[in-house]
Amino acid sequence: MMEWLTEIHQGQGHLIKPLIVGTLVSLVCSIVGCFIILRRLSFLSDAIAHAMLAGVVGGYLLMKLAFGVEAHVGAMLLGALLAGVITVALVSFVTGASRIKQDTAIGIMYTGIFAIGAFAISMKALGKHIHIDIYHFIVGSVITVGNPELWIAGIVAAIVIPLVIMFYRELQLTSFDPVMAASIGMPVLAVDYMLTGMTSLVVVSGVRIAGVILVVALIITPAASAYLLFDKLSRMIVASAAIGVGCFWGGFWLARVAGASPGPAIVITGTGFFMLTLVFAPHYGLLADWRRRLHAVPQEIKEDVLGSVLRSDEEWVPLTQVMRNVSSPRPLVRSAIGSLIRQDLLDQENGKVKLTMQGRREARRLLRAHRIWETYLDHMGTPARELHGQAHKLEHLNDERTIDYLDDKLGHPLTDPHGSEIPEDFVDFEELEEVRASLLRKGNRAEVIRIEEAARGSGLHAGMTVSTEPRSSDGQTWTLVTDDGRQVQLAHHQADAVFVKLIQVDQKP
Amino acid sequence: MAGSVPAIQVDNLTVSYGPVPALLDISLSIPAGQLVGVIGPNGSGKSTLIKAILGFVKPDVGTVQLFGEDVSRAKGRVAYVPQRGSVDWDFPVTVREVALMGRYGNKRWWQDMSRNDYALADRALEQVRMSEFSKRQIGQLSGGQQQRVFMARALAQDADILLLDEPFAGVDAATERSILDVLTRARQSGKTMVVVHHDLETAAEYFDALILLKQRLYAYGTPEQVLNAELLSEVYEGKLRVFAALAGEPIDQVLEDARSSVLSKNKNGDVS
Ligand SMILES: Nc1ncnc2c1ncn2[C@@H]1O[C@H](COP(=O)(O)OP(=O)(O)O)[C@@H](O)[C@H]1O
Ligand SMILES: [Mg+2]
Repeated sequence: MMEWLTEIHQGQGHLIKPLIVGTLVSLVCSIVGCFIILRRLSFLSDAIAHAMLAGVVGGYLLMKLAFGVEAHVGAMLLGALLAGVITVALVSFVTGASRIKQDTAIGIMYTGIFAIGAFAISMKALGKHIHIDIYHFIVGSVITVGNPELWIAGIVAAIVIPLVIMFYRELQLTSFDPVMAASIGMPVLAVDYMLTGMTSLVVVSGVRIAGVILVVALIITPAASAYLLFDKLSRMIVASAAIGVGCFWGGFWLARVAGASPGPAIVITGTGFFMLTLVFAPHYGLLADWRRRLHAVPQEIKEDVLGSVLRSDEEWVPLTQVMRNVSSPRPLVRSAIGSLIRQDLLDQENGKVKLTMQGRREARRLLRAHRIWETYLDHMGTPARELHGQAHKLEHLNDERTIDYLDDKLGHPLTDPHGSEIPEDFVDFEELEEVRASLLRKGNRAEVIRIEEAARGSGLHAGMTVSTEPRSSDGQTWTLVTDDGRQVQLAHHQADAVFVKLIQVDQKP
Repeated sequence: MAGSVPAIQVDNLTVSYGPVPALLDISLSIPAGQLVGVIGPNGSGKSTLIKAILGFVKPDVGTVQLFGEDVSRAKGRVAYVPQRGSVDWDFPVTVREVALMGRYGNKRWWQDMSRNDYALADRALEQVRMSEFSKRQIGQLSGGQQQRVFMARALAQDADILLLDEPFAGVDAATERSILDVLTRARQSGKTMVVVHHDLETAAEYFDALILLKQRLYAYGTPEQVLNAELLSEVYEGKLRVFAALAGEPIDQVLEDARSSVLSKNKNGDVS
């Protein structure tokens, strides 16, 4: 250990190779890492790294026993690569052939293969031939890298980076939606193999820096930080590469300052950066999340605020009045108003608020929900004094389906039990929209599109233009006037069977 | 229709993931230009049928042909809208990028996406009224908006066959209408569509024909043939519970009331 420390002090020249190798290796590791975390393959890359021990020992022994060459780096790395590929193949074989799930299969196979390596090293008969520092492979040692490692890092980078650029769409789509990828003829399986191949390559090159135990951190930690920062895969990859390289340099420097091993220092830097991202990431960080929660206001309070402004007689309503009318804690009402202003539903000026166009629409939609619930409750025999309170709670169940269902069941009432008008269903109600004639109100003009069984023989037919008269017999009869002045009367089920396209809607403000 | 090649032809299809087949001996033929619904309880193999027609799952036995050609050779003739639950909504991808994926099938791996591809993706987003969200990450949208993004992707693909897995699940009424609108227009332009659907009440209204699945093919025909009374009451039972839950304790009558309304609906068969 002291050896390389003194080497550094002798001259900066010794640092060039480690820095180049480290930069290239962290670059490729963090690029491939993006796909690994998106496909949830972190554990697999860890397994590949561990299994490599067996490959390293195998490659070493082969060269030593067959050719008498000591510590041939190329053979050891080739062995490592082979061990990685064999691990992946065994894992997919086990998951495919049995009901064993992937995580278990990975666990079984990599420990098994790692154990073969450990077993070989510890055997007396073989152990006496082994003079490599296995420690380097376990914790890594970027300082001692030489030309073979430089070559390997260069070759791995020259393979991985162009592949990711050329097959970006394939890697993206097979990770995001393999079903669609297959349906447009992308070779999903081949892309999977390419990715595991690239993983093995980057692990092999990364092992020299961080060792089998820590190499997975070079791959996934920068990618995870980038994942928290960016919403586009292309940006995430670039960011991950930058973070990976940055953390390598930071860790390398940290190791020199502290007089420690660079491998762990690089991993510490990466993890530290990740923790910072986790807290401070602008969208997905804990701080942002906490701030969002602080500003979140229950939807119900916002709806109450809108209702109170709509019901007021003035256009500009003093904030104090809104506060008085909405029976929720004041700070919540205040943030509800703030949130409505941000949503462009309210305008504020000199301590008064006003509904915007959109806000008025939303408020009327809620008013409709409230009055329909009231009518419904009344219909169900709820005592009059409970009507408002119950409807007030139920009006927050205002999704269109529920309200439309109730409206239809009630025969599309025009007024609530107190005689106030129920706003029309203007979510559907826009010019050129197609609706059932039962939604038409006095003054609406529409073109008949289609007539179902129940309304055949009513005298209406497709293509006619009709205008709507006031409803009669307690709101149960619809009267339409055709262009030639004929009056057609329809009951509810008949009006439901006529589909019309709205031509003219006089929306009350 | 006699003599013309069906858009989708499935023969003796059996697919299994484990010892129990998810689909067993399915044979059916869908003529071009039809809008077909697939119904059946959860886990009945609806998604699996879709994946088989896409050529994603390999059948144990049987074949799937698209316009008379085996699926494995008919790549890119099918566009697909996945089931909501099967998408990774945290994936770093924006609305526009998803729509652009619809154009991937027309490109060899060495070709770049052209300006025309971007234009087509943008137009598809316009068709489903999602243009203003094109820079959003897909997880930052409402359920209905997410569904429409994938519709846009399928439209951008401009395939002859569209497969949609529960496009109406968990969307608001406005989205349901706009999706239906897109489907109707797609059919007018001659596309064949297979739609997995969970709501039996609207099934008759939306589709030309229905496929009823539960591992086996139980029925395939017009909605009237497939939606027999037994099935209807079963589904309405489920719907009742939803309504009781919606309305809360204060009004037990909802349940009673809805039941009687359903029974009367069932009797005179009017769907309003
Ligand atoms: N990838 C899979 N691996 C194992 N079993 C699966 C897989 N996908 C679906 N299944 C099983 O196949 C059956 C049919 O599933 P699916 O086609 O998704 O049904 P549906 O879409 O009708 O709900 C279910 O029992 C389900 O558990
Ligand atoms: Mg499904």
